[in-house]
Amino acid sequence: MAKKNKGDDEFHPTGTIAILAIFVITLIAIWTTIYMILVGRGGTL
Amino acid sequence: MTQYQVSAVEKKFIGHHILVAILALAVGSLFGPLQAFEHAGWDFYTYLKPLIKSYYQGLTVHGVLNALVWTTFFIMGFLTFNVIFGLKRPLKNLTLNRVGFWLMVVGVVTAAIPILANQATVLFTFYPPLKANWAFYAGLTLVVVGSWVEGWGLFLTYRDWRKENPNERTPFVAFGSLVTLLLWQICTLGIAVEILTMLLPWSLGLIDNVDPQLARTYFWFTGHPLVYFWLLPAYISWYAMLPKQAGDGKMFSDSLARLSFWLFLVLSTPIGIHHQYVDPGVPPAWKFLHSVFTFGVFFPSMMTAFTVIASLEHAGRKQGGSGMFAWIGKLKWNDPAVASQLLAGILFFFGGIGGLANASYNVNLVLHNTAFIPGHFHLTVATAVTLSFIGISYWLVPYLTGRKLWQPKWAVAQAWIWFVGMIIFSNSMHVLGLLGAPRRVPLGLAPYVPAEWNSRLFQVGLGGAILFLSGAIYLVVMYKTATNKERVETEVEVPIAQPMQDPANGPVWLDRWAPWIYGALALIVLMYGPVLFEMIKNIALTSPGFRVW
Repeated sequence: MAKKNKGDDEFHPTGTIAILAIFVITLIAIWTTIYMILVGRGGTL
Repeated sequence: MTQYQVSAVEKKFIGHHILVAILALAVGSLFGPLQAFEHAGWDFYTYLKPLIKSYYQGLTVHGVLNALVWTTFFIMGFLTFNVIFGLKRPLKNLTLNRVGFWLMVVGVVTAAIPILANQATVLFTFYPPLKANWAFYAGLTLVVVGSWVEGWGLFLTYRDWRKENPNERTPFVAFGSLVTLLLWQICTLGIAVEILTMLLPWSLGLIDNVDPQLARTYFWFTGHPLVYFWLLPAYISWYAMLPKQAGDGKMFSDSLARLSFWLFLVLSTPIGIHHQYVDPGVPPAWKFLHSVFTFGVFFPSMMTAFTVIASLEHAGRKQGGSGMFAWIGKLKWNDPAVASQLLAGILFFFGGIGGLANASYNVNLVLHNTAFIPGHFHLTVATAVTLSFIGISYWLVPYLTGRKLWQPKWAVAQAWIWFVGMIIFSNSMHVLGLLGAPRRVPLGLAPYVPAEWNSRLFQVGLGGAILFLSGAIYLVVMYKTATNKERVETEVEVPIAQPMQDPANGPVWLDRWAPWIYGALALIVLMYGPVLFEMIKNIALTSPGFRVW
């Protein structure tokens, strides 16, 4: 088993949070685009 | 370096799985570009007659060999390795695993004969009332049964390990592999019932007609968790191997990783009806419920994304990376095993987004049976899974054979070419789907193609050509590696990323099987029981078989 070191305790995955935030924004944008196509074709709200 | 020594016999056994897998990929991938070229108006099928008689026969070969055979053999080989290496013990009963492997091989040959003879041009979903020769169904059954037998051999190996180590946490690579195998054992019950109670007797002439709606419901009982059978082995590598390879990183959270695997086991089977939103015989309430639970899978998926990226960020910062994103450039992109899996992961972001759109009860109406769907699963099974498996093979094959990877720079180039080709191919397929282009149609022959599709159809062909080039480079690299006279100086180090926290300090319930198995079975009974009860009670064996090719 790897020893836990000080660096691990101080590690905060800020870049990961930023990437996942971009992912969620992209997800909402693409889903909404497809939803608007559905609405544009006469799908019920 | 001292690491557990997998025996030469076991290495050879695992290597046989990888060999069959790569052969299947080689043949299946010949036909993928032909589909894409046909869409672009370059119909090479004309020149393949009488060997290959139609676009649909080629599509069947492509789907069966790439989506079913390549994946299943690679997975069984990789998971066998993971269990042996993770538990640090030989297989309990190698003969049993060998029986499983050969059943799978006999199954593939049995199914391949009618496919090549144009007697089973039913695509990889083999929906009735399309009717194949009985040997196709028998062959698929043998592949599934063989994989079960191999799984039993691995479970027996684990049982012995557990007896000797009652208080130890199961090492993660073995744990993830066993959960994947368990998922497979449960979910393939659907396809087993479909073939054994309906399709095989029907193809043998023992019954005259089938119930296509019930058959589709059985199929998707297996068909959706099949996606996780493909993905989880890639996840094992992303979680527990890639961070080590990418820059000596550690797994950010062993507990989150284990929890996500359990959630995939519980949630991925009882949601198959989201593939049947437009099927008239399934009550809307059940479609809605399955839709809700499908979104439940979003949680372990996001846990996976978070843990894997955080582990990679740890690796990147350890290599001197800084800032919000600059650490990404510090990862070992010049290692083909790393580049392949990172690029696979990047495209999987978009595969995940497309998957959520498919799973939405409302917007699915825009996408259903359009080119969006193959565009989506070329990001998932053909990239997240396949490009990851390719990346794994770049270290696993040298490990198994003791031969150096031939031209690692070519291997890196192969991954990038796949990435570029898939962006062009998949993006154009997604857009075509949104424009209304149907899937599983030789669009090059369609008289109704509007002008706005034309540039996208050309891009489908272009992407297919680039992917073909990438696939060819991969096969050359693998062949030259397997025959390389230059041997590795020392045994290839198996990349295992240690977790940041000692797993022994994690919750005990994450290493207990019974509650999760009972939970998975209970949810399946709740979500499928009433639907299947009604369908079986009102079974309508009314449809004769059709041969439309």
